[in-house]
Amino acid sequence: MTCDEVRELLPEHLLGTLEGPDDLEVRRHLRGCARCREERMQLEEGVSALSFAVHDQDPPPELRERVLRTLDEEWEETGRVPATPVATRGDGRERSPWRALAAAAVFIALVASAVFGVTQTHKASVATADAQSYQNLLASLGGLDFRIGKLHPTEGSTMHGQVLIYDGDPSGDWQSWAIVFAKAPGYTGSADATLLAPDGTSRELPPIDFEEGDGHTWQVTYSDLARFDSVRITSPSGEVLATATIEHA
Amino acid sequence: MKLVRTDEPGSDLALMTDFAARQERAAGVLYDRFASRIYGLGVVMLGNHQAAQDLVQDTFVKLWRTADRYDPQRGRLETWVLLTARSLAIDSLRRRVLESRSLQSVGVQPEDDPEPLPDERAAVSDLSARAKRAMSVLSPEQRSALELAYFGGRTTAEVAALEGIPQGTVKTRIRAALLRLRSEMARESGDDV
Repeated sequence: MTCDEVRELLPEHLLGTLEGPDDLEVRRHLRGCARCREERMQLEEGVSALSFAVHDQDPPPELRERVLRTLDEEWEETGRVPATPVATRGDGRERSPWRALAAAAVFIALVASAVFGVTQTHKASVATADAQSYQNLLASLGGLDFRIGKLHPTEGSTMHGQVLIYDGDPSGDWQSWAIVFAKAPGYTGSADATLLAPDGTSRELPPIDFEEGDGHTWQVTYSDLARFDSVRITSPSGEVLATATIEHA
Repeated sequence: MKLVRTDEPGSDLALMTDFAARQERAAGVLYDRFASRIYGLGVVMLGNHQAAQDLVQDTFVKLWRTADRYDPQRGRLETWVLLTARSLAIDSLRRRVLESRSLQSVGVQPEDDPEPLPDERAAVSDLSARAKRAMSVLSPEQRSALELAYFGGRTTAEVAALEGIPQGTVKTRIRAALLRLRSEMARESGDDV
């Protein structure tokens, strides 16, 4: 899509009335065009100006308390993270965002070295050791499960890679992670990664931006990812490039 | 009214991350930044204070439930929040129309909307006056296209059909209207554009 074509579609894209392949094309173009991103920014400032000029009005003061109380109820029902940075569970183990990040770094390093190693060398001893490593890590993190999947290219595609999901424990208020590593020699630009569930629901991950044929995406979320059992990678035009079935590690 | 880029993608992402992590402070910051415009949007589109308050509440609940989908690469947080509110307001309007038609189909006359209270009439009147002033910098054609698209949630194809003009013309008018409003606000605040 040319810049002129994208600029013509930007207002609809911005106002959320552009759908399907056109919207995907616009998003793809914006990722790689600073000039069009600047135009989008200017249009967003126009929306901002419109909102301030036309419909900026102080609500009743009591509405603030009502909204925050409603959010509080929502949080209580879905499990709440305490406001303090560190919380201690009954078993004495600490939970903190820094510990989760450190665990994530260990997880990614473990996977990047071990899983690729397993699939590439097929050494049983390594596989056994890594399975134990997963279990050790799972025990320390307190989550429910690690699941992995291997990306298989569709016909005409060169894309392959790995999918890794850590299923946190919603009752224990842990986050879940989804990570996709992809290799596609000769592929440039970006691709979309979507988690799929048997019930037809799906969840988009952030786009994969490829550099020299390598790309990855990841997401950390409080949402429950357990129901998703496959992944689909598509080009911005909607062409399916690779798929993976996710199974227990 | 000052036109500034007060939101930075990094800080807005951090704010939404904290909001998704159920931090009350982040919820309060978001409320203080956006509630007035969501509320005003509700008054303009839905016509009464109660519906506008409900819109604010519904919007913040939806923002939290979808917080982990916020991606600064796809646009400003402000736009995402306002359009989430607008989408809910449009849904509410459509429900009203469907309910009214449903009642009429079984021979029940829908109740007239209750008479607005005096302060509601004043508020709507005030917003209408402000809208008129703000939109006066636009041509009638630009204003009409923008109102149908922004407040009415119409696609450019629908606006084109309603106005009897080519779709490309609608797109041009909406784009020009937004850029005109932006430059007008920047001019008033003394910013360079």
